[in-house]
Amino acid sequence: MNVSYSQDEQRFQEEVRKWFRENAPAEIIDQTLGGSTLDPDLQIKWHKTLFEKGWAAPEFPREMGGAGFSETEQFIFHYEYSLSGAPRPKTKFISLGMLAPILLQFGTKEQQERFIPDMISGKTVWCQGFSETEAGSDLASLKTKASLEGNEFIVNGQKTWTSMADHADWMFMLVRTDSSGKKQEGISFLLVDMKSPGITIRPIEALTDHAPFCEVFFDNVRVPRENLVGKINEGWKITGTLLEHERLDASAMGELVYAIETVRKNAAKTIFRGKPLLQDEVFRKKLAALEVDCDSLLYAFFRILSQLKIGAAPGPGSSFLKVYGGELYQRVLDLNLEAIGPYAQSWYNIEGLGNSVHQATMGWINSRSLTTWGGSSEIQRTIIATRILNLPRK
Amino acid sequence: MDFELTSEHLLFRESVASFVKKEHSFNRLRALKGDPWGYSRDVWKKMAELGWMGLIYPEEYGGLGLDFTFVMVLLEEFGRGLLPEPWISTVLLGGNLVLAGGTEAQKEEIIPAIVAGDLFVTVAYLEDGGRYDLNFCATSARQKNGGFSLSGRKIFVLDGCSADRFIVTARTSGDISDADGLTLFIISRGASGVEITPLKTMDGRNACILDLKDASVSESDIIGKQDDGYPLLADIIDQATAGVCAEMVGGMDASLEMTVRHLSERVQFGRPIGSFQTLQHKAADMFIQKELAASATYYAVASIDEKTEERSLAVSTAKTKCSSAYLEVTKTAMQLFGAMGFTNEADIGFFLKRAKVTEVLFGDADYHLARVATMKGY
Repeated sequence: MNVSYSQDEQRFQEEVRKWFRENAPAEIIDQTLGGSTLDPDLQIKWHKTLFEKGWAAPEFPREMGGAGFSETEQFIFHYEYSLSGAPRPKTKFISLGMLAPILLQFGTKEQQERFIPDMISGKTVWCQGFSETEAGSDLASLKTKASLEGNEFIVNGQKTWTSMADHADWMFMLVRTDSSGKKQEGISFLLVDMKSPGITIRPIEALTDHAPFCEVFFDNVRVPRENLVGKINEGWKITGTLLEHERLDASAMGELVYAIETVRKNAAKTIFRGKPLLQDEVFRKKLAALEVDCDSLLYAFFRILSQLKIGAAPGPGSSFLKVYGGELYQRVLDLNLEAIGPYAQSWYNIEGLGNSVHQATMGWINSRSLTTWGGSSEIQRTIIATRILNLPRK
Repeated sequence: MDFELTSEHLLFRESVASFVKKEHSFNRLRALKGDPWGYSRDVWKKMAELGWMGLIYPEEYGGLGLDFTFVMVLLEEFGRGLLPEPWISTVLLGGNLVLAGGTEAQKEEIIPAIVAGDLFVTVAYLEDGGRYDLNFCATSARQKNGGFSLSGRKIFVLDGCSADRFIVTARTSGDISDADGLTLFIISRGASGVEITPLKTMDGRNACILDLKDASVSESDIIGKQDDGYPLLADIIDQATAGVCAEMVGGMDASLEMTVRHLSERVQFGRPIGSFQTLQHKAADMFIQKELAASATYYAVASIDEKTEERSLAVSTAKTKCSSAYLEVTKTAMQLFGAMGFTNEADIGFFLKRAKVTEVLFGDADYHLARVATMKGY
């Protein structure tokens, strides 16, 4: 066993760290804790900066405009990126993280060539239309309907929790094309131009006072048949491969480490009875306990990463990284508010205290969503129990 | 970066697992309950014949000279079966300390005898009032007749009832909590002024209180340098702590496996209880805790040859995680086994008891957390 990076990997790590230190604009640094509160226009601008460096798509081969990084390099890149305090543009996460792998596997050559380069450059912004109000975690119950008339699908219905819908050029969505059989069997995967007539967008204000997601209404929206991905009624199968594509989300790990460093900084600045709170016996043990959990999680990432290196898939074994990582992040931000004491009740910035108070309270509120989106913690635990531990389903 | 085991490690794992299966069972633990040692000399001898006492010792002393990952593999399997033989105290503490700081004469006398399975050695450092601190030491060593006279009391000396030799910490200078001024002495079980009060630990192992009353030792019984025993001891305790973490990971793994089997087989309300979501989620949490503890332990084991600070941080991280995870896993297991789990007829209870004993062995989570905080710079 050897748990150090190689010399080349260390050199790469330093290069990435240095670039982010020099190029991530001050206006977006420290937005990590606030997560999706980052202004969408800034996200798009930041994506373009990354593209100019050639780093917009670390997972993609160079000939497609990607960076062509190895598995370990991708891990290091995402980890250092998050550690710099720069936010991850949602634009990238939705288009390159979710849609692009699907298009590569199921899309036509025309679809790949038409859409992927603009995703990498950040020219087109995508949103994802999966969730519906009545479906939630039971995604297959979705009702938005698309009926084929000649060479066009006519789409009617409603999507919700759609991030960036109000800034997106395109949406990839799941629609019901058949309701006669099992609910998983009549679903199709469509690409929809957001400028199509019949689309109405209503932003939903979150507890952060920002509107990070929207409701999207479809009223007889016409979608050309060529925008169908894969075969009709096979959308569920296509979506299922999203999970198989799931990568090690090193960004989450970097964000966690960054959050812990923020707690440490805040506790060092907070004076309690003449000395920094960081030296308080009770507080320092609480922080150390989170560091132990965080480091243990990091080593779990390393273990899975070394499995990837020998060609094994991360498998469902990695699903605990999401559930535990999200819950740990919430605990870290809980302690962050504890560190600032009475300031924890404030909402806007307080003169003279810099950005940190606002980021702490905003980040704390925002972190509550981590354990509900993308399959709640409860769903993840059921996955661990039934797919890893093989406990009976009935 | 590479967390994978080599084919040699994997082969070794197989042979340890089959030994544990052949030579050991939970019924053996039940049979050993009243035994003052809590383990068997026969099994110990068989382990010695396989070369396991000399696993990490150099070949010149009859050892195999293998890397520390083999220790992890061995102890994970011991932990899976709860093998009670005192490998950690004799090989990882006693013998290792002699190897690290002993004179050539001490090594030649002690190491080959350990390798042959003929000698049990342990380390006595805990004292009342010091909790887990290695530097807290009221036991005194006064110079007398060209040697030293030791007086003081050590508590919870691991496998102390069966040990032939004790390596004790005694203060040759400094105040009660100083790291400087500690000296390590080897002292024999039968020496005058050595009194042993047997203790039984919750998991059926043995420990003892060691009273030293003007016990005489000579200068040649010092391990390492006078007044400078602390760094040597701290090194070896780190290694033993990483070892016990591996044992704990094996125990967590076995507890989880046993629990999953129970959940799948036990039928209530017409369904296997493992199909109930509440219980599934508890099992998922056991899995998460086990994976994190294993990851931290792998990292600590891989860092065992690193610089002191890095290694100690990795070890304390692992021990904190393992201490809380093993208890959480076994407490949840007990709950999921229901009333059955509360009986001595069920095997699962052995793991809960072992979890508690290993939680405090070499320092509990709080002790290690304080070390983590200090090493992280706050």
